[in-house]
Amino acid sequence: MPLARTQLESLLRTRRLDRTLTTALPGAGLDPNGGRDFAPTGIARLDALVGGGLPRGQMSELVGPRSSGRTSLTLQMLASATVRGELVALVDALDMLDVESAAAAGIDLDRLLWVRGHVVSNPGLCRDMNQRALEQAIRALALILQAGTFGLVVFDVAEAPPDAVRRLPFTTWLRLQRMVEGSQTICVLVGSEPMARSSAGLTLRTGIRDWGLGMRFGNRLFEGLNVQTRVVRARARVQEDATVALTTVATNCA
Amino acid sequence: MPDRYAALYKPPQEIEGSAGLSGPRSGGPERAALQTIAGDFSPRYELHGDDLVSIDVSGLERLLKVREGCPARTIGEELRRGAHSRSVRAHVAVAGTRTAAVVLALARPGVTIVERGEEAAALADVPIGILSSLKSQVSSLNSMLETSDFKLETFSRWGLKTLGELAALPDADLVARLGPSARVWQAIARGEDIRPLVPTLAEERFDASIELEWPIDSLEPLSFVLTRLLEPLSTRLERRDRGAAVLHVLLGLVTRESHARRLELPAPIRDVRTLRTLALLDLEAHPPPAAIDRVTIVIDPTPGRVLQHALFTRAHPTPEQLSTLLARLGALMGQDRFGAPAVVDSYRPGAFAMVPFATNHYETTIERRARKARRENQVENSASSASSAVNVVSAVRRCRHPVPARVAVVGGRPVRVTTDRRGFAGGTVLRCVGPWRSSGHWWAGRAGQAGQAGRENSDNPNAPLQPIQPIPPILPWDRDDWDVSLNDGAVYRVFRDRETDAWFIDAIVD
Repeated sequence: MPLARTQLESLLRTRRLDRTLTTALPGAGLDPNGGRDFAPTGIARLDALVGGGLPRGQMSELVGPRSSGRTSLTLQMLASATVRGELVALVDALDMLDVESAAAAGIDLDRLLWVRGHVVSNPGLCRDMNQRALEQAIRALALILQAGTFGLVVFDVAEAPPDAVRRLPFTTWLRLQRMVEGSQTICVLVGSEPMARSSAGLTLRTGIRDWGLGMRFGNRLFEGLNVQTRVVRARARVQEDATVALTTVATNCA
Repeated sequence: MPDRYAALYKPPQEIEGSAGLSGPRSGGPERAALQTIAGDFSPRYELHGDDLVSIDVSGLERLLKVREGCPARTIGEELRRGAHSRSVRAHVAVAGTRTAAVVLALARPGVTIVERGEEAAALADVPIGILSSLKSQVSSLNSMLETSDFKLETFSRWGLKTLGELAALPDADLVARLGPSARVWQAIARGEDIRPLVPTLAEERFDASIELEWPIDSLEPLSFVLTRLLEPLSTRLERRDRGAAVLHVLLGLVTRESHARRLELPAPIRDVRTLRTLALLDLEAHPPPAAIDRVTIVIDPTPGRVLQHALFTRAHPTPEQLSTLLARLGALMGQDRFGAPAVVDSYRPGAFAMVPFATNHYETTIERRARKARRENQVENSASSASSAVNVVSAVRRCRHPVPARVAVVGGRPVRVTTDRRGFAGGTVLRCVGPWRSSGHWWAGRAGQAGQAGRENSDNPNAPLQPIQPIPPILPWDRDDWDVSLNDGAVYRVFRDRETDAWFIDAIVD
């Protein structure tokens, strides 16, 4: 059905006319995804939860307490992206990546650009050095996002003191969101609590499922975690507070 | 259309009776001398090895004072004189076809002149053995005759002694006996050109230099100077379908010294902006010690890349984009703080290596199929795991500098872990598994460089910790590892150094 003049003008204002010329619009009107592309995480349950995967051209967050499965999920996302043939980048603010874990997760290490922050042996005693390391990592992240050549960029500050992350200006995240907007890059912030606030499109929170039984210890080996991932914030097409149960398996138990 | 050719042949050390029948000789200066001589007469010349050159001299008689009404002889004499002035003793031949000129230059000393249309007659009495040296001299002839299934000795066995006898054979019968390549031999014997002259291009230097009226001592004005020098170089590279493989930046300083930088580029690049950015980033990291009053850029060229984009796969970033990004990251973080991780063949927990991040990620067909197979396998595992509980591989976060810990041990098992590190408060051990003993690199020397902290911790949980130095990766290790779950909800991998009896938090299971 041909579009009315008012509809066309509305689409022009919102810069969505390019899609209307090439694809048929549903009867309800605009694409509920806002024309956004999604990249699967490689975990079918999680992809179903978030409507297909992580949104491209948007910042997403993966937050949770220590030992809640954040790192396992992050490495799985990186592996899925490299298997798709994309280049990925990891800005490791505190230099905590375990390369063996990355290889075990299936990441094509040749496609991973690993930026290692400067580690201070006891960062807690010197807040200034910690803050400088964080700001340097932010600058590295900005360079990588500006280059626009990576399919997935992860900014890992999961073990950084929360107050150091809170001290970053709010405009930092707005600026980074602006860099990634409109591109095919997925930017994932990994932390202990949400940091990007309104700049983030999708926020996932991880936690231990079945407290007390969530950490599986065998007779002689640690076997893995029972994790629950919950959607804290989402922009479209995803039901907030929806959860999915995941399980991590230690490689020595495989 | 060219109608007159000349050929110069510099014979090897003269041997009685063998002029023109010997093989090629190599020699850079000889090649350069012949190239210079040929270039003096015509821009269209082709080098065949280091001692033979053919030149298109059509129209040259208009520039020379023709003597005795014979332009060909005038050209021949001028060529001989030009060679003599450069101390090159060469055979010169001028003919209406390039093939005839080359054969006659190889066969006869001195100056040989053949008028247009008389090539066959001039070549008639040339010994047939000349074809052997011709084959080794003229590389294009080799490619055309590679599939020849007969040898030149066949002609000798037939009793042919001169090119004239070969030319006189009926061509249909010759081809019927020896194949299509025999037609080429016969064309040579008749002095007929089998291919046009392919001009040899002079080697071109890609360099530019500028003297500054006022010295500059910062990089910002240098950026404009570099742009000015790089733009014409980039245009010339593009015209020659070349890219820069190595970029040399030579800065003349006011102290009469020079500051030279050499950048090896990851891929042929000719984009001005990229070259300028890389040069500036390098100079930022290695600034000149004084003000600059002269800037020279030299580019080592290399053939340009041919990119074949696939229709159904994602386009990869160009090497220019990646190399610029990596240069910026190096300037920000340091060259040793980024790259691609690599697994090393070691039993040491947390061992890894860093390799340079590749800027060219072009996949071969085999690699693409292997990646597609991994992807299908991953999708299959993900789908099958939708109904099961297994989803992801468990990972750890490695403490690059293990955190000193105080561990209370009861019955040989840790029951409480505490630290002085902010963010690692510790707590009571709820569950634990272990120990796993590992050791290695014992041949490197004394172990236990981790320090003395924690030696008495098992007896006094409240004793203050001493600061420790980070552990270098090459030191030997001998330790017992435990996985412990604390009441604060964290799961750690801790280890006891058996040398010092000190405890550390090595990784966080996450």
